[in-house]
Amino acid sequence: MSISRKCVPFTPFEGELSSSTIALVTAGGVHLNEQEPFNIADELGDLTYRIIPEDVDSSQLRVTHHHYDHTDADKDINVVFPIDVLRNLQAEGIIKRVAKKHVGYMGYTMQLKAMYEGTAREIANEIDKGSRADAVILTGG
Amino acid sequence: MKGIPTVLITVSPEVSAQMRPPRALYPKGFKIGNSLGGPGMRELQAQVLREALTLLGEDTRPGQAITREYPAYGEYHEPPRVRN
Repeated sequence: MSISRKCVPFTPFEGELSSSTIALVTAGGVHLNEQEPFNIADELGDLTYRIIPEDVDSSQLRVTHHHYDHTDADKDINVVFPIDVLRNLQAEGIIKRVAKKHVGYMGYTMQLKAMYEGTAREIANEIDKGSRADAVILTGG
Repeated sequence: MKGIPTVLITVSPEVSAQMRPPRALYPKGFKIGNSLGGPGMRELQAQVLREALTLLGEDTRPGQAITREYPAYGEYHEPPRVRN
């Protein structure tokens, strides 16, 4: 998938929220306890991302990111990655369902071109092919 | 593929605007690390998330963040500015 550098890449939303599947993509450095933490030792940043499954226990998520204070996210991951909140919206019928896959990455890098042309496209493809999401909520730290 | 509709929830609206997000919600005064509100504030978090999702169907101006106020947050933090 190509991402425009020249204009706002606006994709219209067609349909109803109540019949839509929603995925979360966060730059807040969120990953599973059992996954490899992001590399905060590299001054250039970390270009990798982690897939977070739909049935994740939110207490098993953590943050590895050294460019914001994640003390509150350590207590409640929903402040940057609202997976439990999204589940509640599904239970209330506001959305149809929580997507199969979500993505966490560390939104700090000095390698902007590689992030833009590599990681961002890979994440978009993961969401497009793997999550079956109709729309995505993006969050930072 | 034709693309995937997105909504950004940002606490740094000026910084985010540089990336021209198609739709963005700025919960006014929320601090960095509290995009949805404070820890355990489930009702507030749900309100922010609901309103972000609602932007999908609204006539927003791409590239600009919509500012909303959430008094239940109870704090105000000045967002980071872009240095020219």
